[in-house]
Amino acid sequence: MNLKKYLVRALHRLQKGPGYTYKELLVWYCDNTNTHGPKRIIKEGPKKKLIWFFLTLLFASLVFWQWGILINTYLSYNVTSSLSIGFKTMKFPAVTICNANPFKYSEVRPLLQELDRLIEAALERILQPTPGNSTDDVSPPLNLELWNQIPLVLIDEHDKDHPVILDIFETNQTAGGNEMLGTAGGNQHSEDYETMGNDTCSHQGSDNCTYRNFTSAAQAVTEWYILQSTSILSKVPLHERIRMGYQAEDMILACLYGAEPCNYKNFTQIYHPDHGNCYIFNWGMDEEALNSSNPGAEFGLKLILDISQQDYIPYLSSAAGARLMLHQQKSFPFLKDQGIYAMAGTETSIGVLVDELERMGYPYSDCTMNGSDVPVKNLYSQYNTSYSIQACLRSCFQNHMVEICGCGHYLFPLPEGVNYCNNEDNPGWAYCYSSLRSSIKQRQICIDSCKETCNDTQYKMTISMADWPSEASEDWIFHILSYERDMSTNVTLDRNGIIKLNIYFQEYNYRTISESAATTIVWLLSSLGGQFGFWMGGSVLCLIEFGEIIIDSLWITIINVIGWCKGLKQRRARAAHTNLGFQHEGAVPRAQALPPEPGTPPPNYDSLRVQPPAALGPDSDAD
Amino acid sequence: AATAPGKKITARLKRTLPVRGPQAPTLSELMRWYCLNTNTHGCRRIVVSRGRLRRLLWILLTLSAVGLILWQCAELLMNYYSASVSVTVQFQKLPFPAVTICNINPYKYSAMKEYLSELDKETKKALETFYGFSEGKSKVRRSVDDWNSTGSDFFQQIPLLKVEDFARTATELHSGQKRKIEGSVFHKDSSIVNSGDSNDIIGFQLCDANNSSECALYTFSSGVNAIQEWYKLHYMNIMAQIPLETKEKLSYSADDLLLTCFFDGLSCDKRHFTRFHHPLHGNCYTFNSGENGTVLSTSTGGSEYGLQVVLYIDEADYNPFLVTSTGAKIIVHDQDEYPFIEDIGTEIETAAATSIGMHFTRSRKLSKPYSDCTETGADIPVENLYNKSYSLQICLHSCFQKAMVDSCGCAQYAQPLPAGAEYCNYKKNPNWMYCYYRLHEKFVKEQLGCQQICKDACSFKEWALTTSIAQWPSTVSEDWMLRVLSWDKGQKLNKKLNKTDLANLMVFYKDLNERFISENPANTLVILLSNFGGQLGLWMSCSVVCVIEIVEVFFIDSLSIVMRRQWQRAKKWWSQRGSSGRAPPAERQGQENPACVDEDLPTFTTALRLPLPQDGPLPRTPPPNYSTLRLETAFTEQLPDTLELGQH
Repeated sequence: MNLKKYLVRALHRLQKGPGYTYKELLVWYCDNTNTHGPKRIIKEGPKKKLIWFFLTLLFASLVFWQWGILINTYLSYNVTSSLSIGFKTMKFPAVTICNANPFKYSEVRPLLQELDRLIEAALERILQPTPGNSTDDVSPPLNLELWNQIPLVLIDEHDKDHPVILDIFETNQTAGGNEMLGTAGGNQHSEDYETMGNDTCSHQGSDNCTYRNFTSAAQAVTEWYILQSTSILSKVPLHERIRMGYQAEDMILACLYGAEPCNYKNFTQIYHPDHGNCYIFNWGMDEEALNSSNPGAEFGLKLILDISQQDYIPYLSSAAGARLMLHQQKSFPFLKDQGIYAMAGTETSIGVLVDELERMGYPYSDCTMNGSDVPVKNLYSQYNTSYSIQACLRSCFQNHMVEICGCGHYLFPLPEGVNYCNNEDNPGWAYCYSSLRSSIKQRQICIDSCKETCNDTQYKMTISMADWPSEASEDWIFHILSYERDMSTNVTLDRNGIIKLNIYFQEYNYRTISESAATTIVWLLSSLGGQFGFWMGGSVLCLIEFGEIIIDSLWITIINVIGWCKGLKQRRARAAHTNLGFQHEGAVPRAQALPPEPGTPPPNYDSLRVQPPAALGPDSDAD
Repeated sequence: AATAPGKKITARLKRTLPVRGPQAPTLSELMRWYCLNTNTHGCRRIVVSRGRLRRLLWILLTLSAVGLILWQCAELLMNYYSASVSVTVQFQKLPFPAVTICNINPYKYSAMKEYLSELDKETKKALETFYGFSEGKSKVRRSVDDWNSTGSDFFQQIPLLKVEDFARTATELHSGQKRKIEGSVFHKDSSIVNSGDSNDIIGFQLCDANNSSECALYTFSSGVNAIQEWYKLHYMNIMAQIPLETKEKLSYSADDLLLTCFFDGLSCDKRHFTRFHHPLHGNCYTFNSGENGTVLSTSTGGSEYGLQVVLYIDEADYNPFLVTSTGAKIIVHDQDEYPFIEDIGTEIETAAATSIGMHFTRSRKLSKPYSDCTETGADIPVENLYNKSYSLQICLHSCFQKAMVDSCGCAQYAQPLPAGAEYCNYKKNPNWMYCYYRLHEKFVKEQLGCQQICKDACSFKEWALTTSIAQWPSTVSEDWMLRVLSWDKGQKLNKKLNKTDLANLMVFYKDLNERFISENPANTLVILLSNFGGQLGLWMSCSVVCVIEIVEVFFIDSLSIVMRRQWQRAKKWWSQRGSSGRAPPAERQGQENPACVDEDLPTFTTALRLPLPQDGPLPRTPPPNYSTLRLETAFTEQLPDTLELGQH
């Protein structure tokens, strides 16, 4: 009962619109709305009415058009950047220090002996020394097994179509039987031009061979040596490789951070496939990262290193120096990409400016916060390091390599259950690797699947160098350092091995570019409101008013439709009367049986405003 | 007959759309009406408020709101042309930039001997005269002996001088005689260094050839600078006379300079390099110049995948006076950018591996009206002499060259030739050096207007370089490396290479992140209007409709009222005057012209004539449209509601 009463009341309330007809409703709306235009339409004379009508229409359409633009702008998720620059106490970057040479030659010599003898003999052949002074005739015969897997050849390209391929050890000439790939290096104009190539066959004895050719013998030899030594060293277990590399106590001679002394124990050892043992200062893995709150060299990290250049592997790396890199805590150092050299016999000062870029993630830009949404399995996570684009690219390559060649490349970490490639187990790996490496498609796949990180930190370095130690101080410095390291009174260091490094924050140590959303929901609302207000003086309430009017007009429509239906029925009934004139008797009682059309004018529907207040319905108490 | 339909239409229009006058007969009424009916808040308060104080307060508040709106909107307008900066980072395959490599020494000294022998002799003589330096007794003796016979006149014209500052006399190089110096003294070196202590300053004097009293003396605090500058002056003179083809031959060939080349894991050779002749650096070679239409790109960062070259720097063949440092110069630039090696090159050391890591940044500024930069350089009135896309540097150099051609009649050697001009040389333009120095001085002091004309380019690409050096070849690999490289160089070169003749260079992308810094308009028209709307709405709940209202009421209506009143007054005055018997004024005629009246359609001229109270007082009925009635109904409409509320 109560419910019904309530419903009836609600109906009445809804029905209690401002007019009976559309016109009445519209006039009422125009007169009472809070938007500015419509009132003018009805208040002015006929000519102005017309003007105001068009003006209102124009403004309304302008408002909608501009709203469209604003919403579009909002949905395009623009960002604005703000730049801040200055000095603040910051985490000192992690500093990775490596030797350009991965292993001590004295340690790996037994492994590489065969290879070295081969390359020496090959060089002798290439350089064609005068036959008279061959002194190493007595040396044991060369083991050509390694050679036969990937031989070095000379390619004579005088005749473009039929290059003559000359194996350095077997002097038989095989004319152009194998397919040539790679860039043609020869030049027809030069008289006696020969290129070198190395020959990688996919399988022993098969015809599917590729010559990678080089215009320079130096490059060819280096590349060949790297391929061979990679294959040899990949069989050595990791702890053995770590042992063969440079030890922290031999390499890091002195360390000073700010005013506090530090030593090689403050460095975290990591095995880097390119550079052997690397040592990371302030990596932040085990302990809290160090802060630096003062600019200037006095408050930075000062290191003295020894790279012992005499112990370099001669054919592997021709550049000598320390390789170092500044990077964020808990990130893996990719020295080949971001590393810099420090030269022996010099003091290198590096002023650091931290260049940060903080970006908003999706949907503002397509970057990843921690790499969890990247479809590539991050192989560097075994080092407990954070995601980076370099890690992603390398993991992607290694995954491809494992998929296609069946083994992992020595320079990248291994997925589970896979071994490193070597010549014995995977005789075709070098071919597979070099074709994969030069495949542009593979690179593009990796570029497409990897995403950059949202927070990009770069360390901008200002590098300057000076000779160190000076001639006057050389003597005592070498003495002390040798004594401290080897406990000997002999000088075991020299200019070719010693490096001094100063790494410190510059006067301005950070430059942060941070993004913020250019368009927020607040911005959108205030702009929408601004537009509506500017053209029509409207607000959300006006929209609600408009909605109300629509509901009212719907009611009027419904009432009209009902009225029309009833009228139709009546007319039909009347038509029935006229048609069936003889049914008078029957029709009359029927008409009486019908209710006397009580609903035609909705009785409760009020044009109440005009009526005196006493006539108000009983439902007004709901107000 | 032709005007009949037109008249009909106007008559009909007038009938259907009758013109009514303003809403109120007098100004104060109009204001009152406006205040009561306007859509803006505040005005109504003024009228409705009771009491003087309150009304005053409302007037003040309304006025301050208006003031605030005007102030804020002006502020919005002024800040309309501001830009916001956005930085995007994109990880992608990057185009490798062009890398231009030059030997620091422009031409092989051995090949230049025939052109420079005289100059060198002169220089050596100067060294001996002033500093008592001689590198080999016999050589200098001979040169001294030779001098008298071969000395050409232009060396005599611009000799090196030793100046005694206080006495203003100079010892001339050749004659050894002292002579008085005229003209102003320019300290070319520095104005900070007080050269009074040193007993002698060295320099040279340039005189206007047409008017020998016009002289400028250039002095240097150090003889090193003086001799180099003087040498360069004469050197340019000589080089300007040698045709380009010969110069290209005199300089290094690609085979001379490049020993090995390796890019992106593959071998490359001299065909990947484009020759580019630089006036001061001789033959330079540009890797990936994009000349054959293809630009190489890198899809992997890191030192192995960039460009690695070993350069052969033939130190023995260096010009001892022109260049005093050894090595190569490189510059990383965009393919359509001109490499200004002499200005922004990076020097490469010999016997070392220089590794250069690049980081790519692209920037774009908004051009006018946001900032004063140029998109293509087409709007700069300076002809681009370089065959490359516009840059500020190009503009400045072109501007200077143009000024040089205009005032000196010939072109400076270090910059390209404008059409129809030729390089300055002493034979044809004996005056050019003086002219050049004068002009250059003006240019540096920004008196030529070049710095004002030239604008910076709106978009530019920048490769930030991180340079580090390692020893190369390492002591243990030195032996085989040099042997193999000598073999590479070719058997014809029978000597083993020296490591100080070699430089190893690696140029690579540190990462493939491209930073794009762009300016965007901070405001669009939409946002400006929104902000206007926000301000108008906040202070007065006003909108464009209100603005139209204000225009209507304050300008059209009140003007019409004022005009009407003036008209009435004039009429009154006229009727008084007319009674005294005078000719009607001209305006009256215009008003009475029936054609005129008919054509005058809507606004206030017709409105003017509406009430026409002849002589009676004003209380004529107000125009029917005037709605105090409406107001009353509005109140009665509101009344029931309030009553209704009161009842309950």
